[in-house]
Amino acid sequence: MNPFFNTDAATLSPIALFLQADWVVKGVMFGLLAASIWTWAIIFSFWRKLGRTRKATEVFERDFWKADDIDAFYKTRADEDLPSARVFAAGVAEWRRSTQGSVIDRGGTRERLATSMGAAVANEIDKLSDRLNVLATVGSVAPFVGLFGTVWGIMRSFTSIASQQNTSLAVVAPGIAEALFATAIGLFAAIPAVIAYNRFSHGINRIEARLNRFADGFHATLSRQLDRER
Amino acid sequence: MERSEKVGLGVAGAGHLVLFGLLSVGFLSTPNPEKLKQQPIDVSLVKDVGLEAAAPQAVEEPAQSIAPETGEPDDAAPPAPADPAPEPAPAPPQPAPKPAPPEPAPKAAPKAEPKPKPAPPKPKPAPKPVEKPKPAPKPKPPAADQAAAAKKEAAEAKAKAAAAAKAKAAADAKAKAAAEAKAAAAAKAAADAKAKAAAAAKARGTGSDSQSKASKPKGGRLGDDFLKGLTSEPSKSRSQTPRAAKIDASALASIVQAIARQIQPCADRQVDPGPGANEIVTTLNLKLNENGTLAATPTMVRQTGVTPENQRYAQRVRDLGIAAFKGCSPLKLPAEYYDTPNGGWNNINFKWKLR
Repeated sequence: MNPFFNTDAATLSPIALFLQADWVVKGVMFGLLAASIWTWAIIFSFWRKLGRTRKATEVFERDFWKADDIDAFYKTRADEDLPSARVFAAGVAEWRRSTQGSVIDRGGTRERLATSMGAAVANEIDKLSDRLNVLATVGSVAPFVGLFGTVWGIMRSFTSIASQQNTSLAVVAPGIAEALFATAIGLFAAIPAVIAYNRFSHGINRIEARLNRFADGFHATLSRQLDRER
Repeated sequence: MERSEKVGLGVAGAGHLVLFGLLSVGFLSTPNPEKLKQQPIDVSLVKDVGLEAAAPQAVEEPAQSIAPETGEPDDAAPPAPADPAPEPAPAPPQPAPKPAPPEPAPKAAPKAEPKPKPAPPKPKPAPKPVEKPKPAPKPKPPAADQAAAAKKEAAEAKAKAAAAAKAKAAADAKAKAAAEAKAAAAAKAAADAKAKAAAAAKARGTGSDSQSKASKPKGGRLGDDFLKGLTSEPSKSRSQTPRAAKIDASALASIVQAIARQIQPCADRQVDPGPGANEIVTTLNLKLNENGTLAATPTMVRQTGVTPENQRYAQRVRDLGIAAFKGCSPLKLPAEYYDTPNGGWNNINFKWKLR
């Protein structure tokens, strides 16, 4: 082993604890470590995505409400990679399709506008909350997986007690330490996952509410415009 | 996977690596001064046992208070006749006391003449020559007969002297006699000197013993108190074999080995009572006599190795152990370790086990 790392079991060295463990416990530890890495990857990407989305949405809506000509605004800003831009594009597209003909069904047009923009909002929220289920799963399952590793490791150390017929602490302690390390990794992965899940659920709810408000406002605008059409 | 997720994955992986790396180099490790490792202990097995480990100290018996006499005290008289020269000496002593009577002079003279002649007459120039020859022959016979006779005469003379004169007069006579005797000794031979000494001794009033001893040819060189501090009883030591100063662990181990070896024939003849019985270790207390025989029936101190399986054989194993000792005693063991200040095989515990 690398002399740089302390492989003595008496210290809190994760590598030493990992190397001394049973293969079942090793598998549990490895899976939990991967889950932890994946959880944090999701946390970082979500953090950046939600923050960026929130800021860009604010800017987009402010610009939208200041814009005089919706068609001109649509030409310049509708292809932005933003949920509100896609909701806006869906509304405009439905408006154009509904007002193409000579005869305009106002009631049907309003209904279709609401439906298409609602569908666009739901689609955006689905896309945003894509990885949130991973956080939920890790947060709820990782402690149990770690507990499984701990139970297995403690069972193994008890069998070693039985085989050596020696109950001294030096015989029992390393096995229990490495077994508890599995639970430690499980909690290490689960706690951030649960916190992040709640935080990001809240953030996505806010974004969804904002998109719905924007869609309602745009729908109202289009509805008024529909009244002015002959 | 989106680009933002890739970035997130990279950041998370790097963060985990940093965290576990820090933990691995002991960033959060608690200082653990007391290692759980068990330190090995050097154990050396003693195979060869040297009995000289505790060297025995030979104890010499104190000397008995017997004087180095060259002859029997009672036989002092017989040698006297053999030697003509010394005899004259004993004779004069008798006269010595007499000098006292002579002083009273006129009175004593007749008395003294026959026995004490030598001393009293001496002072007087005239009688001397005549008397001297006389006394010598006279005393001789009594001396030759017995010292007791001389003593009696001396006592008689004394009594006479006492009756004739007072103590003072006697003292004066003594002094005179001594002075005269001295002069005579200078003039005469060693015999006279001896007589003088005898006279002095008598004048001191010593008892019959001193007189008899004085008569011995070689007894004079010992003082009266040369037996001081010595008892008349011959002192005893407890055992013939000198005891070892103390018994050490290796000697004790060799004794236990010797016991095991000597009871082995009896143990070999015994029948194993049942499965598991040979796991029982019975500690027996042996009380032994000095010749190796049992002073008492061995008693059980404790039993170990008794399990529910072999519990019913425990009693039988104990009885077998006692029987083995009874059958194979006396034991031959080194005598110097029978009883030492820190133990010995007179009272020893032995762990008995079936083979």
